[in-house]
Amino acid sequence: MRKSSSLRYVVIGNGVAGVTAAQSLVRADPAAEVHIFGKEPYPYYQRPRLWEFLAGEIEQQTLYFRPPEWYAAKGIHVHLDAQVTALDPAEHRLTLADGDKVHYGRLLLATGARSFVPPFAEADKAPGEHRRTNGVFTLRTLDDAQAMKAYAGDIRSAVVIGGGLLGLETARALLSLGLRRGRTLDESRSNPSAERLDVSVIESAPHLLPRQLDAEGAQVLQGRLEAMGLRFLTDAATETILGNERATGVRLKDGRVVEGELVLISTGIRSRVELAREAGLEVNRGLIVDEQLRTSAADVYAAGDVAEFEGVVYGIIPAATEQAQVAAANMVADGSATYSGTVPATTLKIVGIDLTCLGDATATGDEFVVLRQVDRANGVYRRLALRDGKIVGAILLGDTQNVRPLKQLITTGRDVSAYSDQLLDEDLDLKALAQ
Amino acid sequence: MDKWECLACGYIYDPAVGDPDSGIAPGTPFEDLPEDWVCPECGVGKDMFEKVE
Repeated sequence: MRKSSSLRYVVIGNGVAGVTAAQSLVRADPAAEVHIFGKEPYPYYQRPRLWEFLAGEIEQQTLYFRPPEWYAAKGIHVHLDAQVTALDPAEHRLTLADGDKVHYGRLLLATGARSFVPPFAEADKAPGEHRRTNGVFTLRTLDDAQAMKAYAGDIRSAVVIGGGLLGLETARALLSLGLRRGRTLDESRSNPSAERLDVSVIESAPHLLPRQLDAEGAQVLQGRLEAMGLRFLTDAATETILGNERATGVRLKDGRVVEGELVLISTGIRSRVELAREAGLEVNRGLIVDEQLRTSAADVYAAGDVAEFEGVVYGIIPAATEQAQVAAANMVADGSATYSGTVPATTLKIVGIDLTCLGDATATGDEFVVLRQVDRANGVYRRLALRDGKIVGAILLGDTQNVRPLKQLITTGRDVSAYSDQLLDEDLDLKALAQ
Repeated sequence: MDKWECLACGYIYDPAVGDPDSGIAPGTPFEDLPEDWVCPECGVGKDMFEKVE
């Protein structure tokens, strides 16, 4: 018989936004029972570590943050493999894939995002739940990472479509996986070079990380990554993925062919808004939320990669956790917390390369003053963008010292025009300036 | 001194190491980190960290 239950707080999505909200809910309302419904069969895992898992650096078990008992002890009930298929906001009711009905008092939609797959990935080669046997992948979930790792076991070449943060991190992970494999095989085979995994990255923009870097910074970064063994093609638009049963590579629009037995598509994310859209909630690129993280439906909130705030789907972890905390506070006491946006901050997680981009990192135009410092030999690049005497964006490559003070200066909007010509001087104490 | 782990990304704050890039000297207990300190890996706040048992 189908079950029907009534629950005070319900969270859809078992990613970082959902779990953060759940623990904020039980902190604010210790007597509360919170129910999380997650589509995946796995307990909450640390998504940024999927790349370490792919590289063979950590075991699957390490991805799990806590034992399942922790949640139960806190009053958080986690329902795994439990996809929500319908939302009826008027009735405050959810329908699960198995037909069960759940009534909620207050609901958080933290359904996250999926990998975007461009049209060139024809239907028969498109990555999907059951199509990972052909060597074409996206990387977003633990299932993706497992399938990719298994497939990469005996290949010689891989191509990553998309030179964004995740594309570069995946390329690095594949390279490490190849090196690791090479070392293991070294012991029993005499020709280790044959076991190398060649990894190419294709970027359609003129340079890598087009969203985070300007051309000069990207050149310095590319040099560093090439020294690690990666190969790059920029200004390279993909026409099609080659191969029949299994991928063999990619053909570019200019006719060039890039070999790859494994093709990873890393061309951005799209918010998972289907459930909300079908329920009639106001949706744009993401699910639209206000300063209290309320959606257009009463008692329905949203946070994380699914949410769009003031036209922005952030798609970054700090925004997901900040939104989740504000949403949870308002679910307990509506109007008690306000979200005003997150300063974009992204870090490229590749060992040996320190790259952080803050705020409006690539700002250009007459209203901006741009300061640059390039030290190609040492792989260092710094770029600051100022508007009306205030720092609004920063790129720091090979410099970790100034990340925190610059972030503070961007957040506080302090007028630094008195120092504007010395901001990149080694002897200027940015930390003191940020205080 | 206890180590603390970031819920979001798995970064471990080790007081013995500190977080020199953020100006945190080795030997600084997690409790003494400034309130606006954020995870150097993923940028979430202190309240996203849990003590490693």
